[in-house]
Amino acid sequence: MKVCLVRAALLFLATSTQLLAVPPPLSAEHLTVTTLPANSPHRVYVLDEAFNNEIDARVNVFDGDTYERLGQIDAGFTPGFNLSPDGKTTVVGTTYFSRGSRGTRTDVVEFTDNATLGVAHEIVLPTKRAMTLPSYFNLGYSADGHFLYVSYITPAASFGVLDPAQGKVVDEIDTAGCVLVIPSGPNRVSSICESGRIMTVTLDAQGHEASRAMSDAFFDPDEDPVFVQGIPTSDGYAFLSFLGQMHEVDLSAAQPAFHPAWSLLNAADQAQRWRPGGTQVGAIHRRSGKLFVPMHRGGEGSHKQGGTEIWVFDMKTHQRVARWPLAPLKLSSAIAVQVSQDDAPVMFVATEKADVAVFDASTGTLRHVEKQLGQTPWLFLNP
Amino acid sequence: MRSIDRLFEHSSRSLARHTSRRSLIAMLGKILTGAALVPLLPADRSSRAQAADAPGTEAHKPPPRKAATVKSDDPLSCDYWKYCAVDGFLCSCCGGSANSCPPGTAPSPITWIGTCHNPADGRDYIVSYNDCCGKTSCGNCECNRNEREKPMYRPSRNNDLNWCMANADSNYHCSVSVILGVAEE
Repeated sequence: MKVCLVRAALLFLATSTQLLAVPPPLSAEHLTVTTLPANSPHRVYVLDEAFNNEIDARVNVFDGDTYERLGQIDAGFTPGFNLSPDGKTTVVGTTYFSRGSRGTRTDVVEFTDNATLGVAHEIVLPTKRAMTLPSYFNLGYSADGHFLYVSYITPAASFGVLDPAQGKVVDEIDTAGCVLVIPSGPNRVSSICESGRIMTVTLDAQGHEASRAMSDAFFDPDEDPVFVQGIPTSDGYAFLSFLGQMHEVDLSAAQPAFHPAWSLLNAADQAQRWRPGGTQVGAIHRRSGKLFVPMHRGGEGSHKQGGTEIWVFDMKTHQRVARWPLAPLKLSSAIAVQVSQDDAPVMFVATEKADVAVFDASTGTLRHVEKQLGQTPWLFLNP
Repeated sequence: MRSIDRLFEHSSRSLARHTSRRSLIAMLGKILTGAALVPLLPADRSSRAQAADAPGTEAHKPPPRKAATVKSDDPLSCDYWKYCAVDGFLCSCCGGSANSCPPGTAPSPITWIGTCHNPADGRDYIVSYNDCCGKTSCGNCECNRNEREKPMYRPSRNNDLNWCMANADSNYHCSVSVILGVAEE
């Protein structure tokens, strides 16, 4: 009898403890749409070419402070993309087929509001858009945001002048074999030519050609071609060559001016065949004048190979100020690099394995590795 | 202990179910034949030596589809000599061959051109790299070789452009490598 009583007491105790431990039911949830946090200088737009299923490219929006994936902008087939001068709009120039992977081709520029990631409007293009690797120069805004220029290749080269406010294509301008659109000022568009020169078209107020001029050659396309992945500087763009020469082009005046070229490499580096390479081959923190370049040891044909190290240069003294090897950090080769423009800059590095690493750009300290940010992250842009 | 016995018994039976004795003998034969052939085959190691200095020149090597005796002779390998400027998917891994588009696709009439060295006869050849178009990316055997490749301001030497651009259906599927002739000095 005593045993029975003890058992009953234990059972009562266990049951009441269980009852006491049951939490209250979850309250009903409300389905919402997440709003983006306020813009930040450490937000980065990462183009994933999705090369294995190329009709489904996208731009991933990533926060370099919280390491959150903030959202996605769809980008269709072999897209170009860029940001408006105020950073509020992402433009994607892309192609869609009416039956998904086949059918009628539509080339279009889509304008995405970066506050909502919704497509605000679009402008349909002639089916001439340059289908090529992404760079700053597939499409780009005039400095005042009034015009948008889109590179065409059929393979004849030309570019379209668009008026985003009016939502229309204003004109098409033949570039006589020179390619891509490098905007400067409110009404100038430069293109890189086969001869190593730059052709600059000046537009009138309506967006039609007013004049054009050809520069002298600033590099030798046979001996040491420059990458078309230019790097924004305070007065234009910097172009690295396959063999590590730096060509700075000042686009602030009516005609381009060329600073004396300088080399990233000393004699020992040259002997070891260090070279820049990848899909985005450099980034410059403009206020401090620091240049970040993925470098590898290569040879003929290695110009798309990622860097085993990031080299840091002072753009004023042309001296290398740091070397940051990636293997000790267990990172594969760096194919793309970008840096934020604020006073506490972060450096973003995309690797051949599609990871995105976030560094303190002042010290080279690795802060975070975001695994598999897309399939083929080939270009970073930031405001 | 019994569970370990069961595990080994299961894996042995599974191996036996999926592997015939003949296939084992064939595999051993291939290995022995390959080993015997390697020292005899002509091969230009100069470009490979350069590639050795530049690991990852072929950044995305395809998974091996067949036992390759020597890489430069295998049209399923990025190292195949004709593929010296291919940046894309090998049509030979997509239902076509090194010089034939897969069924249901259309060749691009415009192309980029490379100059590749054939180690078997010591000659340089002009190779046309046509894209095959009209289906979405094949996704197999991605190669990224860029010998003498130039940026897009030299379009005829550039492999970043989608050369399906002028096709009625301009979707990119894969790339072939067609010999046009011997390169003149």
